[in-house]
Amino acid sequence: MFVIKNRKQTWFLVALMSLMLLLVACSNDEESNSDNEENSTTEQSTAPSDNTSAENTGDGLSGTLEIQYFVGGYGDGWWKQVIGDFQKQNPDLEIIEHAGPNINTEMNTRWISETPPDVVYIDGAGASETQMIAEGQLMDISEFAKGITLENGTPLLDSFISPAEEVDGGKIYSLPLVFDTWGTWYDTKWFEENGWEVPTDFDSWISSMEKIKADTKIAPFVTTGQHTQYFHRGVLNPAFAAAGGEELLNDLNNGVIEAWKKPETLEVLKKVEKIAKAGVIDSGFAAYNHTQSQMNFLMHKNAYIPVGFWLPNEMKNDTPDSFEFGFTPTPMNDPGQPLALVPDIRTIAIAEKAKNPEAAKAFLEFIFTEEYAQAFAESTGAIMNMKDVDLSSNTNVQDFLKNINEMINNPGAVHTYKRYTPDAEQQKIAVEITNEIKLLIIDILLGDITAEEFVDKMVKKAEELN
Amino acid sequence: MTFSSKSKYLFLAFCLLPTFLLFLIFTVYPMLGGLYYSFFDWSGTSANKTFVGLDNYIRLWNDSIIVKAIINDFFFVFVKVIGIMTLALFFAVALTQLKIKEAPFYRIVFFFPNIMSVVVIGILWQFIYDPNMGIVNSLLNQVGLTEWARPWLGDKTWVLPSIAIPAIWAGIGLFMLLIMGGISNVPKSLYEAADIDGASEWQQFWHITVPLVWPQIKTSILYIIITSLNGSFVLVQVMTGGGPGSASEVMGSYLYQRAFEDFQFGYGAAIGVLILVVSLITVLVSQFILKKEKVEY
Repeated sequence: MFVIKNRKQTWFLVALMSLMLLLVACSNDEESNSDNEENSTTEQSTAPSDNTSAENTGDGLSGTLEIQYFVGGYGDGWWKQVIGDFQKQNPDLEIIEHAGPNINTEMNTRWISETPPDVVYIDGAGASETQMIAEGQLMDISEFAKGITLENGTPLLDSFISPAEEVDGGKIYSLPLVFDTWGTWYDTKWFEENGWEVPTDFDSWISSMEKIKADTKIAPFVTTGQHTQYFHRGVLNPAFAAAGGEELLNDLNNGVIEAWKKPETLEVLKKVEKIAKAGVIDSGFAAYNHTQSQMNFLMHKNAYIPVGFWLPNEMKNDTPDSFEFGFTPTPMNDPGQPLALVPDIRTIAIAEKAKNPEAAKAFLEFIFTEEYAQAFAESTGAIMNMKDVDLSSNTNVQDFLKNINEMINNPGAVHTYKRYTPDAEQQKIAVEITNEIKLLIIDILLGDITAEEFVDKMVKKAEELN
Repeated sequence: MTFSSKSKYLFLAFCLLPTFLLFLIFTVYPMLGGLYYSFFDWSGTSANKTFVGLDNYIRLWNDSIIVKAIINDFFFVFVKVIGIMTLALFFAVALTQLKIKEAPFYRIVFFFPNIMSVVVIGILWQFIYDPNMGIVNSLLNQVGLTEWARPWLGDKTWVLPSIAIPAIWAGIGLFMLLIMGGISNVPKSLYEAADIDGASEWQQFWHITVPLVWPQIKTSILYIIITSLNGSFVLVQVMTGGGPGSASEVMGSYLYQRAFEDFQFGYGAAIGVLILVVSLITVLVSQFILKKEKVEY
């Protein structure tokens, strides 16, 4: 009897302990959450400093300001600089930085548990502004943004190259911080040495690729087949924009059936088919990830590659000394028409549940200056989304960036089109459309399907989704 | 020395409790969590979840990529079971029966890929298959088989076999050791008797070695099936990302894409449940097929 009782007690104890351990392990404890974060290597806290000038003391903000920023191809130098300067101006404010290449994943639990950081820079894998707006995670900063003016008195909203996006009937949820864009890269020096002309439209691009192929026996065009968004955003989107403007660009990506049936759409895909049939695409492209394709490009195994502005920074350790980056908006436009650019804007926003929204707003206001725009171009190789920033005299800025900055600020040869953030419903369709395009890009570039088949499959997909 | 009932149960609890708790926390809880989330429309990035009942499962049923991914998964299972078991058995017999002097060296060499990270193996073989500087195409070009050279991982027909080869290469060592352990337990007298009776080495292999190491072979096959269905994802993700197009998509890589790239965590969880169900069914069916009386001579 004693044994049976004991056994029962033992099992009761076992069950109780299991339950307790399970509850402890699975509890959503805020305290333990923040404890873990303090140990995170990606986190850095700048404590209020004592050695600040007297004029700042008392003026500044206080409390804690948490900033989440993704560190990718642009590095973190610029962020360190602006956060350091903001700290100096606000000595009583404790700034906690959450940064790193995987920061979006690392901070995910904070967003799920609705204890997000105050400021978030939306960039990199695992971050989607559309998703965040749809989930109500970002603060409506319309009124605040309208009230910001630059030192010269210009309203901030009038100073962006690519304007702040208004959704839900005129609400602004983020400020466009980085003007990045996809386009096509080449080696300026190599082109000059061989007398190859930089193309300005589709016809001259095809001729250029055929000439390079004849001169060097290489396949001039390469892209990554593993990440087909490089071709989608770097070639197809500018081509759609050049053919049918912003409306066609956005409708196609949002799965509007009629847009896929338009003759302009077929025309664009005919051009892609022509590239495939001309035999100018690297036969191994479908196997390459982005790094492999970029390495081949740097080794002159290819002459053109569609990538964003971050390419020189990302590949700086592997770039031969003789290599000189040249950038052109992807020339899918017809002769006589302007080149098309579809910017890939990276935004900064305030969390709806920010604990220190005042400091967050002050930080957003603080970073949009010409000084920081210059610093941004110097350290990241990309452009901050501000008009009339003269990079030409800045010796620390790379030449390709000066040229593109000049192009953007001097419309005529280049036309900029915007891919608008889809709303929650459109986004569901847009994701599936992107996935379908991803599959068909490989098929058409391998020569397995024609432009007509591409369009038919997309129409069918759009019909399924709508 | 005898144990009292109390100390016996305490000892048992001491042995089992930690493992049981870890199993609950790291296996049962995530599994139930996955099942729970599969009934929701959830991005995986916020607190907002909408209960959608069986919608994700209905979507699975109509998703053409899922069918392709299951077929690809079973391709890997089939090829890996045949490839790994054939080579592992062959090497195990060779290293134990043929009295090779360098056997310890080969044992280490064959086992070596098992201590390498699968990610490293994937990257390594990516270089081997590289269309321009890869060793495979270079060799083919050198021996005059230029027309055979191709972008192995970028070719829709060849991508699956190309991923299967490193998967087999990386898997042989462990199972070879397992079978070698089995062979070393087979009494030498049986082989001597067979020799005297005039049985050839081939006959000895089929009638002595295979029946007596069958428990090890069976365990190995089941283990390969389970790890293949759950783990092919890593090699695929590193080497091709499921491409070109969806030619090498497996259930795991598709789950990753849906849950973490498309922000459809609920749907990803439903794919996870599918992987669990498919794995369970496959293991049960395999156990039934592999059921064989234990042989003792």
